[in-house]
Amino acid sequence: MAARESLEVDAGTLTTQRILGRVATYAALLFFSVLFLFPLVWMLTTSLKSIGEINTSQPVWFPSPPQWENYKIVTAKLNFWRYALNTVMLCVLTVTGTVLSCSLAAYGFSRIKWPGRDKLFIITLGTMMIPFPVLMVPLYALFKEFGWVGTFKPLWVPAFFASAYNIFLLRQFFMTIPQDLTDAAVVDGCSEFRIFWQMIIPLARSALMVVGLFCFMAVWNDFLGPLIYLSNENDFTLALGLQAFQSQHGGTDTNLLMAAGSVMVLPVIVLFFFTQKSFIEGISLTGLKL
Amino acid sequence: MTREQKRNLVKGLLFTAPWILGLSIFTMIPALMSLYYSFCDYSVLNPPVFIGAKNFTSLSTDAVFWKSLNNTLIYAVVALPLGTVMGIALALLLNQQIIARPLFRTIFFLPSLVPLVALAILWQWIFNGEFGVLNHALSWFGIDGPNWLTDTTWAKPALVITGLWGVGNSVVIYLAGLQDVPRDFYEAARVDGANWWQQTRHITIPMISPVIYFNVIMGTIGVLQIFAVPYVMTGGGPARATLFYTMYLFDQAFRYLNMGYACAMAWVLFVIVAGLTLFAHRMSKGHVYYGGA
Amino acid sequence: MNSIASPSLKRAGWWFLAFAALILFAVMLQRGMRGGRVATHTPDGRVIVEYWEKWAGIEAENMRVIVNDFNASQNRIFVNYLSVGNIEQKFLLAASGGNPPDVIGLYDQNTLNFTEKGALLPLDKLMARDGLTPADYLPRILNLGIHRGITWGLPSVPACLALHYNKRLFREAGLDPEKPPATLKELDEYAEKLTKRDASGKLTQLGFSPSDPGWWNPLYPTWFGGKIWDGVNKPTPDTPENIAAFEWAASYSRKYGVKDLQAFRSAMVQFDTGQNSFISERVAMQLQGVFMFTFIEKYKPDMDYGVAPFPAADASLTSVTLVQADLLGIPRGAANVEEGWKFIRYVQQQPVMEKLCQLQKRFSPLAKTSEQFYTNHSNPDIRIFRSLAESPTGSEWPRTPMINEYVDEMENGYSHIFMLDETAAEAMALVRRRMTPRFEERERKWEAIKDERMRNWEEIAPR
Repeated sequence: MAARESLEVDAGTLTTQRILGRVATYAALLFFSVLFLFPLVWMLTTSLKSIGEINTSQPVWFPSPPQWENYKIVTAKLNFWRYALNTVMLCVLTVTGTVLSCSLAAYGFSRIKWPGRDKLFIITLGTMMIPFPVLMVPLYALFKEFGWVGTFKPLWVPAFFASAYNIFLLRQFFMTIPQDLTDAAVVDGCSEFRIFWQMIIPLARSALMVVGLFCFMAVWNDFLGPLIYLSNENDFTLALGLQAFQSQHGGTDTNLLMAAGSVMVLPVIVLFFFTQKSFIEGISLTGLKL
Repeated sequence: MTREQKRNLVKGLLFTAPWILGLSIFTMIPALMSLYYSFCDYSVLNPPVFIGAKNFTSLSTDAVFWKSLNNTLIYAVVALPLGTVMGIALALLLNQQIIARPLFRTIFFLPSLVPLVALAILWQWIFNGEFGVLNHALSWFGIDGPNWLTDTTWAKPALVITGLWGVGNSVVIYLAGLQDVPRDFYEAARVDGANWWQQTRHITIPMISPVIYFNVIMGTIGVLQIFAVPYVMTGGGPARATLFYTMYLFDQAFRYLNMGYACAMAWVLFVIVAGLTLFAHRMSKGHVYYGGA
Repeated sequence: MNSIASPSLKRAGWWFLAFAALILFAVMLQRGMRGGRVATHTPDGRVIVEYWEKWAGIEAENMRVIVNDFNASQNRIFVNYLSVGNIEQKFLLAASGGNPPDVIGLYDQNTLNFTEKGALLPLDKLMARDGLTPADYLPRILNLGIHRGITWGLPSVPACLALHYNKRLFREAGLDPEKPPATLKELDEYAEKLTKRDASGKLTQLGFSPSDPGWWNPLYPTWFGGKIWDGVNKPTPDTPENIAAFEWAASYSRKYGVKDLQAFRSAMVQFDTGQNSFISERVAMQLQGVFMFTFIEKYKPDMDYGVAPFPAADASLTSVTLVQADLLGIPRGAANVEEGWKFIRYVQQQPVMEKLCQLQKRFSPLAKTSEQFYTNHSNPDIRIFRSLAESPTGSEWPRTPMINEYVDEMENGYSHIFMLDETAAEAMALVRRRMTPRFEERERKWEAIKDERMRNWEEIAPR
């Protein structure tokens, strides 16, 4: 760490231009941070307001006193632990399945040359161009045929059979890894799978983490899938549970809705904050990097 | 086919086997069925009846179809370049040697974590013409802000802004790409006296071009199918100013029960997206640099 | 930091992590594989009836009380109650896949897509068998579950619309708070008096705006004696009465300016959050449903307001209202038709229905209502709504399967009128030109299958 920073500093003396650059950087960062943070802060403060503080024409910034019991109500109503467990279960299975199957497929699409590869890849890209709503009815019929409706299976089993977006993402990363790096291994008689598992996977760890993260979030926030396939209240996920706070003719408790939203977001924020280093900076620290 | 080629074919097929299975079962079967439905009168609840190309001919005279297509293309033309530039800019900003980098990264990524319902309510409130914070902020500069979401001129820009807020997704991808740029390239450039901009222009951008390519292609595909956020935030209003293609398709499929017609729309969109993606691909030829294969 | 740990210790750590991950994965996998055929009976041998209801939040909880009552009232049937957001989509897929629930709760206008396409079962024979007759209901409410002469759904709770006016603001403006406007002309005059601007000319208070809340825009002709369809199979958006109604709505845009009115409308972030312009006392008069009371009670219980019939254009028209209803129906392909019906039948009993309507703060859809119902009802104005629903004048959402397309097109036309881009005559003529061929095509399709369908319905109707 220290070595790298000194390298940065000695690259140039502190000229005025450099200082100005720094100031501009931080100014831009702060400006965007406020923009990006604001809505979230508002979500958090709203989650602590009383109904009276929401029902005013002038926005209330700081609820006083903060209504912590909103969170108690929400976790009780959401059946929080149960729904969280269901959601985590779907996340674990989906992320595992996606990362495994997509990295395999991406390897096949990027580091092995075989006839028909590029045609299949074009078809892969093409599948993303069909709007999902028209696939829903045949897909439902298919899952019905499998006897999967009413179970969790339609929500995670397909993940083990890869998805176009993630294959494409990983393929792009795999393609940036210099060919001569693996050529040497081939000469040494390494099997293709060993190259994949022992060289490519560690090198592309940041990309794999990104795929895992996106996949996790998609499942975490997915409302439609669970809505369609689950019909037992005990199987519900957090995103599906959110709807319990919206009532057409009974008044939506925005404070509770926002509290529920915060409850859903906070674990992910914490997870992201503590793991991001490992997947954004991971590679350069492992020393495998060139 | 040489033995080498044969071996590679077997290896390639083995590696892609899960996807080939998934592709055929979970995507191709539904896709081919929807292709068949596009030539049918199909209400979902009753069996499809083959009617030839009638759905496609009706599309050509459907004013709402043209309106939604128009809306979508306008949105795409504005949102896609903005999103790309902003994504790269933020990633470059975050990739510098700055204090509290993890914190800033988290902040820029936060919006992508907010559930859709909460996000919609949040932004409706921000864009509120009377009490919204956005107009409040504009008033400091003496600007009398519009009624964003209920004004036919401003509803689309409002959605573009909401979309930009979720740019953190692509920032994360760019950052992962930036980490892959070998450090010695920069050191060599610095020795040659290249400044920050020159390094960015001649090293960083070419080195992450595969990632930019990915984001542009995915952005094109995604932006033309924009659905969830406007569906919850504006429902297509005011006066269909934010009725996008996939929203109209959804209405036809699930609210008007004209699934056949919706499938025809889907395949028309498929052709458009494929065309535009191909165009983006052509444009990128020679600009995308692959270190590997 | 990593250098502290010795390589062997680090390796052990990795193995441990990998092992833990594997265990976690296995546990999750085991959980994810669970399920399959949902149980058909409870452990104590009761038949499980699946009931999907569109209500969420507090409304869903109110219905749960009734469901629990039913489950406690007998020992043969257990109703499994599920509150479902986006119920239409879920139901559509389930019905198409032959996997529907046994009972479904829908809004009246949402049943129309499903009846003609055969996704619901006719209830007439069951009603006759169990002694339910049309005379047991308010005719206009019962009618909301009938299409092509067949009853597809029975009401759970009804609704209708009335003028809500702010008595405090009436007094402030020098108007008699006990004398709400009796004609539309009076409404316009009062609205003028109740409208305030600040020094810069910006609206600070509005007497009335037709676009606030703007949920029934296409149905303003109701108060002009107009109908937006012929009751059978033709759209009639541009009759003289209808055009007069939309021109009246546009007159507000002319008077107060489109942008100012929009600002007022957008001030209402989300109606159901209580940030409603009537409750925040920025708009003095509003057309609202019986459900408005729930919001007032929740967000401003001490509000001084009154309820009256929304005035009509013509003095000869009195007690005009728009009626709506929440309906319970039985999907075709339901596994437990008889048991599902038992539950619906249970809800239709006077004491049960009154309990439900009291919980949901509505009036009862049944012809007979007990005196207690009114004395115990929390809404002091409930009788006004009830008598409005009893009156024969007024309308409802057009009872045609074209409703969603038609209403979307009408809303679009209305937006253009409201924004003064187009005159009412122009906008509505365009709606007619666009919609007439679609109505005709739908009618042609119906004619082709009509006889077979009717025969089929006769056959499948549970009895």
